[in-house]
Amino acid sequence: MAKPRHVDKTRGSGAETGALPLAKALDKLRKAYGTGIELRDDRGSLALEGAVATWRDKIDAGWAAARFGYRGVVNDLAVPGLEPERLEPPGIKDCSLDGLAVDVAVIGGGVIGASVARELARWNLSIILIEKEYDVAVHTSGRNDGMIHDGFAAKPGTKKAWYNVRGNRLWGSWARELGVDFKRQGSLVLFRGRTSAAAYPLMASRAKENGVDGWEYWSRSRVRAEEPNASPGQHGGFFLPSAGSLSPYKATVAIAENAAANGVRVSFDTCVLGFDLESESIAAVRTNRGTFRARAVVNAAGNWADAVAGMAGDRFFSLHQRRGSDLILDVTTGVTQKHIMSMPSLFQAREKTKGGGLVLTPEGNILVGPTARELPGREDYATAPEEIRELERHLKVNVRLSLSHVITYFAGVRPCTYEEDFIVEPSQRVRNLVHAAGIQSPGLASAPAIAEDVSAMVVRVLERSMAVRPRADWKPHRLAPPELRRLPLEERARLIAANPRYGRIVCRCEEISEGEVRNALRSTLPVSSLDAVKRRTRAGMGRCHGGFCTPRVMEIVASETGTGLCDVLKKGEGSWMCAGPSKSGGRS
Amino acid sequence: MSVGLQSMETDVVVLGAGPAGLAAAVSARSAGARVLLVEREDRVGGILKQCVHDGFGLEKFRERLTGPEYALREADAFRASGASLLTEAYVTSATRSGDSSFLLDCVSPRGVAQVRARALVMATGCRERTDRQVFIHGDRPAGIFTAGLAQYMVNVQGLLPGRRAVILGSGDIGLIMARRLTLEGVKVEGVYEIKSEPSGLARNVRQCLEDFGIPLYLSTTVTSVRGRRRVEGVTVAAVDGRSRPIPGTERELACDTLILSVGLIPENELAVSLGVPLDGATRGPRVDQNMHTLADGVFACGNAVHVNDLADYVSESGRVAGGAAAAWALGGPQARDLTPLRAGPGFLYAVPQFVDVLSGERGSVFFRSNATVAAGARVSLGAMKDDDRRELAAKTYPVLRPPELERLVLPPELPSGADSYILDMERMDGGGNDA
Amino acid sequence: MPETLNLTCIVCPRGCRLTVVKDGDAVSVSGHACPRGEAYGRQEAVCPLRSLTTTVRADGGARPRLAVRSSADLPLSRLLDAMAALDGVVVRAPVRAGDVVARDILGLGVDMLATDNLEEARHE
Repeated sequence: MAKPRHVDKTRGSGAETGALPLAKALDKLRKAYGTGIELRDDRGSLALEGAVATWRDKIDAGWAAARFGYRGVVNDLAVPGLEPERLEPPGIKDCSLDGLAVDVAVIGGGVIGASVARELARWNLSIILIEKEYDVAVHTSGRNDGMIHDGFAAKPGTKKAWYNVRGNRLWGSWARELGVDFKRQGSLVLFRGRTSAAAYPLMASRAKENGVDGWEYWSRSRVRAEEPNASPGQHGGFFLPSAGSLSPYKATVAIAENAAANGVRVSFDTCVLGFDLESESIAAVRTNRGTFRARAVVNAAGNWADAVAGMAGDRFFSLHQRRGSDLILDVTTGVTQKHIMSMPSLFQAREKTKGGGLVLTPEGNILVGPTARELPGREDYATAPEEIRELERHLKVNVRLSLSHVITYFAGVRPCTYEEDFIVEPSQRVRNLVHAAGIQSPGLASAPAIAEDVSAMVVRVLERSMAVRPRADWKPHRLAPPELRRLPLEERARLIAANPRYGRIVCRCEEISEGEVRNALRSTLPVSSLDAVKRRTRAGMGRCHGGFCTPRVMEIVASETGTGLCDVLKKGEGSWMCAGPSKSGGRS
Repeated sequence: MSVGLQSMETDVVVLGAGPAGLAAAVSARSAGARVLLVEREDRVGGILKQCVHDGFGLEKFRERLTGPEYALREADAFRASGASLLTEAYVTSATRSGDSSFLLDCVSPRGVAQVRARALVMATGCRERTDRQVFIHGDRPAGIFTAGLAQYMVNVQGLLPGRRAVILGSGDIGLIMARRLTLEGVKVEGVYEIKSEPSGLARNVRQCLEDFGIPLYLSTTVTSVRGRRRVEGVTVAAVDGRSRPIPGTERELACDTLILSVGLIPENELAVSLGVPLDGATRGPRVDQNMHTLADGVFACGNAVHVNDLADYVSESGRVAGGAAAAWALGGPQARDLTPLRAGPGFLYAVPQFVDVLSGERGSVFFRSNATVAAGARVSLGAMKDDDRRELAAKTYPVLRPPELERLVLPPELPSGADSYILDMERMDGGGNDA
Repeated sequence: MPETLNLTCIVCPRGCRLTVVKDGDAVSVSGHACPRGEAYGRQEAVCPLRSLTTTVRADGGARPRLAVRSSADLPLSRLLDAMAALDGVVVRAPVRAGDVVARDILGLGVDMLATDNLEEARHE
């Protein structure tokens, strides 16, 4: 195994000498966004205070401030009618973590936190991964289209570009080790007209600059031959063979399960309330489930990473939320295209995202999206009718698709810094804290590479006070539970003979057996919610959307967890499925 | 015991043991065929088992039975027939094997069986349309149930889905659940229907809503759901003539449960995998009067073909399909001469979509009007030859309503050589059809 | 003062629209297509009757509830009372359809009958 190494930052950080003077910055911002704005140099970061009229102004002011050359933008601008959001811990309160002492605490069970935990588990360390929800990948990591980007779209020189290309390469071996279904279908960016086709040399040089693993120009007829259902309006395309897709929540589950199998303790429903700081270090982590000591702490708190940084007195950035919605098309649509496809319009090139497209999943569904809207609400996943209309245009990229193929849709929220780049670095103020923050798109693609670097940073922190040696029994491989529908009949028959529950189909749309549902509940992660089962097995994800299998899955959950049917939850605390048994005299 | 695959051979395989499949199996068996009925659940009876309300069997048994009673009668007839049954069994794939047989892979807790059969009867029923398929927005909290799911929870599992419910859609299951939940002590705030008329039967509006003072709001729909973990409320809005919400009419309702009765979709994924063409209006296979689909040897019946309002009709179509499947399996492939049967203006659809003029079976045409015809109408079937229409059968209906399936019995003799058959509607008030 | 009721007949799926006029003790029905419809309209004006179909709790069975029905129609106004009375009824598996699970509910002379079979629970 390669020795952990220090990664040269692709960009400088910290208060920079070339920053725009405060007075000038204030003048610019006030001219554009009103005189209610106040500015402060907060130890090298630019703090925006006071008030603006609208949410949009707040975001725009933040972006403008990010161009002034400060280390980061801390945007505390108030917007009338919008209360600042607070991190709400789960209602569960116990002492299960009291008195614990670990080498590393990883905060956040998204793909970043789980990957960091997995990487750290290579070493002889005691590690805890804490997650405020009932499962991993509940928020951003479970609410995206699963694309493993090629790295072409990121701005050259950014951390995004650097981690994306490296992460993309690593996903091949990660997916093999973890038993995660990952397909490199390649991404085909179609040209809408001759003008955009003329941009090919520029695109190629950007791909080269970012170190992308291969690209090709496809003529109009080549596109027709490869993708007969591509929009007849195409003028050829830019093909990136290294792009692929996987199930983002299954991948996160697999990573976390592998971490847990290597000794990482995973604690759900556990939320950081604060830190006890001693001599510029975090001495203890306070949570709703007790206070424990940690030699090093990783901030992988997703949409709350700025709040967690603030608890440690290190809020040098702040996050804004870019909501994205996707449509999920029926699994039968997968045969109508071979690659990930998109057909951006030219003006989109200036937008802050890649504009969306059609992502072919390994399961055969096509995901359409995502949208990109700046909205308040770190965990607001409500979809809106106009988003469906906006996504409808992507359907035209493949002539065989229509709205009637939509089985459902969902929204996710990207945690974005105003610099619109990742933060992957040790804290400059807290000696034992490492940040992995602002991990928006392409965060999933970048996760393995980010995890390698964060792990190396943590090891360097720990080496100041202990000897860090490789763990002798580290197991990179996870034995993925069988997916019976994908096995040859003979193998299915063998498995059923050994365990008849593999022969009892509970989800008829996705052909999921009782045995597979039970496996999901018996993994190294302690989960019991219906949505956790759904994410692992696809039970309830098909065209009937749980109409038939929900009662069966509820019964299996009750039997596995030893609770009553009435205690089964859909998605953690408060998400009760039924009000109680009938015939209990509740009638008034 | 060997762990390999088991092999089975039979004449007719019936998929699904609801009322359609039970009747098909009985009928195929009594025609002398070896029959295997494959059912996913551990008991036969299908959805009837959870329909504890009465009103079933008025046509078939001339009695007002509950769903379980109807199912028990059909199950008894099935047991007496001598047909075989595989429960907890799921067909993962169906393929044609040679010209005259099918091969099914069938998974159950007892293992994997490969079943060879000469004819298939698809009695796979239907599924419920979901909230996302009618584009309700908001988050996905717990507390959103399709009516059938809520019915299963209440009647089979003994669970109350919530305390305070809003029902979207006035389909029969939605109306039945409004009453059922009220009886169990759940407060039903109202039933909201996007259309200007109720989707369910008139007697259900009376007995399930009016009897209990539950309001029915027509031309109104639910546009979004509030709540992250559990439903906390819904937004309802009036809709215009094209079912679009009218801005400014939104109203917030507090509730912890949203129940959806917004339509049923025939389940035909397996049939489609065998190349069975579907009808865009019914979303089920296009069939002839023998319930034979356009794929030779594949028959279909019940709600897999089109959504019936009465279980009695479902049983009847099963009987026809089973008998025809047995004849096909035992007699070998027979020539068919399919003449299309079209529904004229004023109808949602008509089934069958074809008449096999070489077949001795006659049967009935089932149809639905696309709007209420309060004045009544005369519905006739004509044989078209060039531009001539020759009337074959006709019946006058005192009223036609879209939720209610009607039938027109075909005459014993059908003229050969027609280009097509057409079902026409003549309204008693002389009005036109806004088809 | 005559009272007029507009009803949908529920005797059969046909759903005739009935007009029932009640004037003192005299009741007249129109709009019906058969004698059963007329009788229904008359009854609705005097005392609407409904069958009650529901479930009762079951112990030791393959399922926790058993479907039941009333042996005859009950006054509509007493349905919720009957439901409350049934809250306390618990049957023990096995039960056969047609078995009486509660006698003379609310003293109305109507029994509750099982409408489904309930086998004893199998233990895996």
